[in-house]
Amino acid sequence: MKVVNHIKEIRQKKGITQVKMAEDLQITRQTVNAIEKNKYNPSLELALKLIQYFDVPIEELFYLEKPEGE
Amino acid sequence: MNNRKLQITIWSVVIGSMIIGGFLGVYLIGKETGEYNYEMAIAIIGGTVLGFIFYLLISMWNKKRNGNVPDVDERSILLMKRYLMCVLYVVLLGSGAVLLILYSMGVHFIETGMLIVCMMGLYMLIGLGAVITKQL
Repeated sequence: MKVVNHIKEIRQKKGITQVKMAEDLQITRQTVNAIEKNKYNPSLELALKLIQYFDVPIEELFYLEKPEGE
Repeated sequence: MNNRKLQITIWSVVIGSMIIGGFLGVYLIGKETGEYNYEMAIAIIGGTVLGFIFYLLISMWNKKRNGNVPDVDERSILLMKRYLMCVLYVVLLGSGAVLLILYSMGVHFIETGMLIVCMMGLYMLIGLGAVITKQL
């Protein structure tokens, strides 16, 4: 099962740029991009920081994509 | 040790090693040829200092462009770990394979000078790969 996130949509809704988010969370812009494109799963620490940063429940930010046929 | 002190120590060691390496080169060439060319000292020290200034300018420009965004984070460390693991296996198995091939080809002796050149190329290649990996 793949972890999918809605970070891009939530970030854009709040009007935050990738650079601002990278500065605030002390991560690189490439990491922000990789997380948003679901190419990289953040560590638990960074995931908790993201939840705190956007002030949304965890299930709104991350969810497990069920494989087809289930 | 705080971050600033650590950075100064690292840079002192790097610059010191480069200058010592340069003088060691002059000494080794002098030992072979019998002529110690100490005019190279200007090139050794000047090149090292210029390289350091060039690095400082690039890092300042990067800081201006990217603001307070860090250079390294958890993902770049993970990528670097994977890259270095690949490098370890490639260098270990690759050098073993090259030695076996050379031996089977009839090369039974290797000149240390040639080894130094090969190692230099290898170091440069690994360094270049690390820079590219960091940017991914």
